[in-house]
Amino acid sequence: MKYVILIHSNPQPWGHPTSDYVAEHQALPAEQRERLNAEFERLLTEMSANGELITGEALADPSTSTLYRWGGGEPLATDGPYSETKEHLAGFFLIDVSGPERAREVALAFSGPGETVELRPAMWPGGEEH
Amino acid sequence: MDSGVEDVWRRESPHVLGALVRRYGHFDACEDAVQEALLSAALHWPREGLPANPRGWLIRAASRRLVDALRSDRARSDREDAANRLAPSEAPPTDSDDSLHVLLLCCHPSLTPASQVALTLRAVGGLTTEQIAAAFLVPPATMGQRVSRAKAKLAAAGARLGDVTRADLPARVQSARQVLYLVFNEGYTASGGIDLIDVSLTAEAIRLTRELAQRLPSDTETAGLLALMLLTEARAPARTDETGDLVPLADQDRALWDPVLIAEGVTLLEQALPSGPVGPFQLQAAIAAVHDEAKTYAETDWPQIAELYRMLAALAPSPVVTMNRAVAVAMTDGPDAALAMLDPLLGDPALDQRHRLHAARAHLLDLAGRRTEARQAFREAARLTTSTPEQRYLLRRAG
Repeated sequence: MKYVILIHSNPQPWGHPTSDYVAEHQALPAEQRERLNAEFERLLTEMSANGELITGEALADPSTSTLYRWGGGEPLATDGPYSETKEHLAGFFLIDVSGPERAREVALAFSGPGETVELRPAMWPGGEEH
Repeated sequence: MDSGVEDVWRRESPHVLGALVRRYGHFDACEDAVQEALLSAALHWPREGLPANPRGWLIRAASRRLVDALRSDRARSDREDAANRLAPSEAPPTDSDDSLHVLLLCCHPSLTPASQVALTLRAVGGLTTEQIAAAFLVPPATMGQRVSRAKAKLAAAGARLGDVTRADLPARVQSARQVLYLVFNEGYTASGGIDLIDVSLTAEAIRLTRELAQRLPSDTETAGLLALMLLTEARAPARTDETGDLVPLADQDRALWDPVLIAEGVTLLEQALPSGPVGPFQLQAAIAAVHDEAKTYAETDWPQIAELYRMLAALAPSPVVTMNRAVAVAMTDGPDAALAMLDPLLGDPALDQRHRLHAARAHLLDLAGRRTEARQAFREAARLTTSTPEQRYLLRRAG
């Protein structure tokens, strides 16, 4: 089953890995930060080796974003940035795992202080006839 | 490569691989050697014609390459014992039918079901990594990782073909059946992408299950699995409309069902049912047969379906079985009896396929004439499903 894992974060300054630039993460004892980072790396390596990780991208600063809204019968483009205080979409992973249980396990391991991790099932083009 | 050569390759590669692995061990090295033998065949056969015994030709070519590779690796300590195994006699392996052994090796308990499926299609089905990736709608690199990781794991577990003892056999055959069922289901439920490639996972699953059933003629559950696949595949032409939307069983044009597949499935099942212990695949096949033999949805033998689901629930209980049983009970005892069966599931927080529960309830509420509640349940099911065609269907029913 395919899921996307969306990382909502507001690193200051904008940078990746986002946890390095999030105050709540920086406040952790160095030892714990190293352990969390190492665990995350290990999981990513494992998932890319066993074929569960399909792709992942880190996103650029939201101020570089362009928004297209419909207005006055035509599309209107506006530049970022958004408000400074809200969390932004900072990156995403597309995974293909055996089921919801494994997806929850992965998303849990992706989460960290000061950030919100969203686990969202992807729609698929097949189905059952019942 | 022309298609004649490819047909021969698809048919022979598991036998060639099996013969090599049985003789030398080292799944990974053997597969490399088999690949090289194929390249050589692709070069020679179109020019010189197909050899009289293609399997023997491929086994000889692959063995030569494997022996060369192992010899050149002899210095490396991790390959030493394999090279030593070559020392006493270098007689080439025999070309007895080894595809069953390769299938059982691919279903090694150290592998996850996803890896078992990928490796089975690669090594037993002879599909390319690209074909398997396209069928599962993942990038080829992802599928390549799954296959190579699975091979590495087999090597690490020291898995050898000869390892399956008589005592292991039932468990290994059981996971082989499960793997083939997964392959079939993937092909049957995933409509996207499949038409774009030349390979149908359902056809592949049926082909491999047929082989397994031929090799194990007294195994009634394998016969049951084959019957289930044939009886389900028979309905395939009627299950989507021109726009690709799913057509529920009740609304399918039964004239489109394949009578040849139905007849074969029913015959298999009639032989299997009285001759051994009745397992879940035989029961599911029996349910499919009752549906397939009904002239119309209304004429379906619902008491028999309800009874078969009762037996299945006793043997392999699951929420999905309860839901299907409830639908049959609604036809025999009315929707209220069926809704009472589903109520306990509503409070189950661990239920993963929650949309199916709401879809079943919606259908029953509709039958009971409780239109407002039905509509609400259809919407809830639509909100929860991740299948695009199912969502379209459920929203249509919600009205």
